[in-house]
Formats: sequence, C-alpha cells, structure tokens
Amino acid sequence: MKKLPASYLPLILGVIVLGIPACSKKAVRSGGDSQALQEEMARGEMAKGGAAKEGTSSSFPDTSFSGRDDSNSLRGLDRNPSEERLGGNAGGSGGAGHANAMIAKADSGSAARQLAEIRAEQVASVAAGLRDVFFGYDSFSITDEGRHALSGDAEWARLNPYAQLKIEGHCDERGTSAYNLVLGEKRAKAVRNYLVELGVAPTHLSVVSYGKERPFCTEHTESCYSQNRRGHLVVKTGK
Amino acid sequence: MMFRAVVFIGLCVSIGVAWIIESGAADVFLEATRPDFQKIPLGIAGIENLGGSESPEGRVKLGTRIEEILKADVRRSLVFALVDLPSLGIKVNHLGAEPDPSFKQATENGVSVIVWGKAGIKGGSKDADLSMDGYVYDAGTNEVVGGKRYIGSTSVARLMAHRFADELVFRYTGEPGIARTKIAYVSELGTARELFVMDYDGYDPRQLTADGFLNLMPRWSPDRRFLVFTTYRNRNTQDIDMLELATGKRWTLVSQGGLNITPVLSPDGNSLAYSSSREGNAELYRLDTHTKAVQRLTTNAAGDLSPSWSPSGRELAFTSDRNGGPQIFLMSADGSNVRRLTFDGDYNAAPAWSPRGNWIAYVCRTSKKEYKLCVITPDGQKHLQLTTGLGVDDSPSWSPDGRHLVFSSTVDGKSQIYMINADGKDLERITFTGTHNSAPSWSPAS
Repeated sequence: MKKLPASYLPLILGVIVLGIPACSKKAVRSGGDSQALQEEMARGEMAKGGAAKEGTSSSFPDTSFSGRDDSNSLRGLDRNPSEERLGGNAGGSGGAGHANAMIAKADSGSAARQLAEIRAEQVASVAAGLRDVFFGYDSFSITDEGRHALSGDAEWARLNPYAQLKIEGHCDERGTSAYNLVLGEKRAKAVRNYLVELGVAPTHLSVVSYGKERPFCTEHTESCYSQNRRGHLVVKTGK
Repeated sequence: MMFRAVVFIGLCVSIGVAWIIESGAADVFLEATRPDFQKIPLGIAGIENLGGSESPEGRVKLGTRIEEILKADVRRSLVFALVDLPSLGIKVNHLGAEPDPSFKQATENGVSVIVWGKAGIKGGSKDADLSMDGYVYDAGTNEVVGGKRYIGSTSVARLMAHRFADELVFRYTGEPGIARTKIAYVSELGTARELFVMDYDGYDPRQLTADGFLNLMPRWSPDRRFLVFTTYRNRNTQDIDMLELATGKRWTLVSQGGLNITPVLSPDGNSLAYSSSREGNAELYRLDTHTKAVQRLTTNAAGDLSPSWSPSGRELAFTSDRNGGPQIFLMSADGSNVRRLTFDGDYNAAPAWSPRGNWIAYVCRTSKKEYKLCVITPDGQKHLQLTTGLGVDDSPSWSPDGRHLVFSSTVDGKSQIYMINADGKDLERITFTGTHNSAPSWSPAS
C-alpha cells in the first residue's frame, strides 16, 4: 500500500506554514512591468465585472489577443535618454519594488485539507487490505498476477457493498508527462473493466490517472519503474 | 501559406540552425539557411560602480552584477557575438557619456557595437534608488547612437540589465528580445506539484498555486496575463483551470469529467485546444473562448493529446497513438486534413510548434530507448535530434524568438529545467533546487 514516508512530513508541513502568509494578498508591485500590471489588473476587473459567475466554465475573462502591450514595450535607445522608472514607486518598502508582476498564492488551507484526506484514504485502504495491479512497460494489459489480485479486491467489494473504490493509474518516469497521463487512464480503466467483469457495480468504481506525477518510488531503476506502473486501489473516504 | 519564414528573408539576422542543416530543397527556410549569417560582434566595456553601489546581498557591486547579467543576456540573444575587449588589449578605466579613444582600436578589430555604463545608488538612505545609465557606440557611424537611463529600487537591478539587453536586440533586429520573458513550470513540494514562474534565466522563482495536490502543464495566454493548466479538483477529477498571474484569480474552463489535459490557447487567444476523455478515450477538442462552444476535433479509438498551434493558428500538431505507439500528426484547426508527420522510431510525442513556424520540436525515443529532444520541419523533410545522453527529456517549449527551447530532463538525476539553442548548442541548466521541476512553458515576449 502507498505510505507517505515520514521524511516527507516536515516538507509538507513546511509548505502549509509557508502558505499561510499568502492569505494576506499583498499587491506585489513590480519592475518595468508595474505600469503594465496596473493596467492589466484594471482590465481584469473590467472583465470580471462584465462576466459574473466566476468559477464556472460559462464565464472567464476575455483571452483574445489584440496585439502587444504598449505600456510594457521597449522605448528604444535615445541620444538624450530621459529617466525610465522601473518597478513602480520610489524606494519600495515591504513587497513593493519587485521585479516580477506577480502574485497571489491560492487557497492555502487546501494543502492541509488534501493531506488529511489522503491520510484518511490510506488508512481505510490499508484496513481493507486491497491489492494493487502491476503493468509491463508501455502496457495496460492485466497480467495473471493482476487478475489474482483483483479477484481478492472484487471479493472485498462484494462484502462491502457501500464502499466506493477509486482506481488510480500510475506510470513510470519514462516517456512524456502528457502521454503517461493517457496511459495511466488506460491502466485505471483496464482495472475497472476487469472488476466489473468480476461483478463489482460500475457505480461503485471511479478512475483517475496520475501519470508519472505521483510516483511510489523515485530511483531510476527497473525495480523502481515496475513499482510505479500500477493500478492502485483506494477506498474513497471523501466526496 | 504556413511557411512564415519567408517574411523573415529581409532580416539581417537569422537563427543559427544553418550550420547543421544541409541547405537544399525547401526555399521556405531561407531565413534559417542563409550561409552568410553572422552574429553582430558586441563588446561590453564595463558597467562602472558608482558610489553606494553595494548590492543588497553584499559582495558583488551592483554595476558589476548588472554587467554580468547583461553579458549573459547578450550571449543568449544569439543576435550578438560577445567580444572580450580585454583580450583585444582594450582596457577602459573610466567611461563617460562620450566614446573612449580605445574604441577605435576595438572597431579595427572587427567589433561593431560597444556598450558601457554606470550604476549606483543615489543618496545614502537604506531605501534609496538605484540608477543605471547605459550607452551604445556603433562602429558604423563612429558615434554614440543612444543610451538608456533607468531608475528604481535595488530589487530591480536584474530587470535593468534585462531591459537594456532587450533594447539592444530591438535596436539591431526590430524584435523585442527575450531577456524579460518568463518561464512557467511545475515544481514539487512534498508530494504536491504546484505552478511556479521564474525569469527566463532561472532567477526569481515565484509560487503561483498552493493547492497541495497536482497542477500540471501550464501554458501562457498570448497576452502573458494568464496560465491555462490541468488541476486535480478533490484529487479525483482533472479539470482545466485558468489563473491570472497578477491577481491569483482562478477560473475553471473545462470540467466535464474524465481526463482533461494539455490545454493551450491559440495565438489569437480565441480558442482553447485540449485533450479530454469525457466521451471515452482521449480526444482533441476546441473551446471557443467567446461563445464557449465546444467542437470535437478527433474521432478514433486511440489517444489524441498535446495539441500545439501553428503560429498562424490555422493548424495543430498533436500526439496520437492511432497507429500503435505515439506519433506526431498535423491537422487543420477544424479537425480536417489529418496527416502523420513522424515516421522514425516508435515513440514521438509532446510536439511544440516554433513561433517562427519552421520547426516542430518533440520528444523522440531513440534506438537506445532514451527520450530525447528532436525537431522536424512541418513538411517532414528534415529532422534532427537535439539532445543526447541519458535521462528522460520532456515538455519542449520554444522561446518567443524561436532561437531557443526550454525543456525538462532527468539527465542529472532529478528532473530539472534546461535551455538549449534551436541548433542543439549551448545546453544550459536553469533550475538547481528542489526535488522535481518540470513542464516548462516559455512566455511570449512583450
């Protein structure tokens, strides 16, 4: 079963702690981009005002490109150059005066919530004794060993008719990120289809592909790669 | 026609791929095949340190630092050949706004452009302004053709150097330069992968998301205001989100169930191409960003993904495994006229169409089963392998001037981000920290 190595915990906690100051969205003023930034922000506000329901696919700001941003464009060399101020106000203090027109970090509470939910899933999955399925290089066909593992998982599902199972498709690091996401989905679906063949209700199964983005093992060796080519079964505990 | 290279014939400067490509058949690549292409010899006589020029980090003075950054920018521009003036016996001690007598000697040695300047902090207070003056001498007219005077806080020292470098490129090519461009990428924090953005030379990384799970494969909007990317909402569904860099605001563009990946906005910003498995297997779709209408572009039982727009927006390159292993295909932006582009090897994926139109970069699996960068012309006539050695190379993305690629590689162990010239020269690593940096996307120029 997947376990978070204890050594990761300080890192994750660090991320959470680091994320907290981001709650106070400080307007980071910036380099030569600052004037552009202000205009961009103004445009963004207008776009938002025009299109109400933020957060749905039915409305998002206008992304059409009408040409270069003049406010940020080069002004050319000059025989008697006038002073060109970069980075907004003079003598910036605090967050002002930065060279980057950035940034507000998103939803810092999310990381903690995710971590808690991942833990709950792991605990439930370990308790259930679910077994994973392993795949060959570039392959999404289920081996005899995989079938054996899945028959046990199907039996567990039969005894736990209210449980929702999530099948995660994972890949080794070889190949591109994008193609491995597609391959991971093929693996997860192959597992789902076999479980359905064994009588598990499709409504109790969901699939997700993590490609090579959440490896179980990070060495560049075949023994590690084979650990990562996997259909990982998880008891869903959240929504 | 699609071969926009033609319009660049008139440029006196062209990209340096000429040397490794046999000039031949296709006259559409004149820009890249000019045999007389030469970089402009440019010498930097120094950025003098004025009073109070200690940099915030101490040690290196601000003028010296700006000079180092400027030199690196000039070298990466590939427009100029950086000449080492001291090696020509030219030593400039004090520079004013007038050309130094020694410049004559430099121009006799073939130096076309000489740049110098000064930088320092005005006044004594802690938050006093940094000012930088830069001058440009041109051997052709034997005079100072112009200069710049920048002022700002000490934290914009790098930006002063970058902006001055871009002015030089602009002066001699009419193009905006790449020194102020940025690279968005994915970096690992614990087991999460979050979006970051950094300067094109790897400096000043900024974290953009803190979701605690997976955000993948960011791509810039053509106006540089937004990134589109795949996000795992509640860890279970892959949606396509858009993030506004200046504000951190986010919107969901695609949320239809299934795998929704590899989003990319068209050059005019009016369409979003992406891959979705909402109807079974991964297919390509196109979302009209005004009407929100969705058009399905591919229909087959195989995986179709990783769309990349041609600079005109009329065509798409993409990955498909309809013939077994993944290969690169081309089609019109409405899904018609599909044809296969790559035939060498059994794994070619992640295409990236050059902003100049003349090359498509992609990841090719070699006969030694290594995943390396390759480039191919859109007519399939020429192709080259750019990188060699061990490790998995992934996610090539072009600089807006079409002279460089940025990509991720595990060549040094952990996945890090690298830059390379379009001709395979000057491999340069640009990220050095963290456990995993990947999926770089080079911003448009401004």
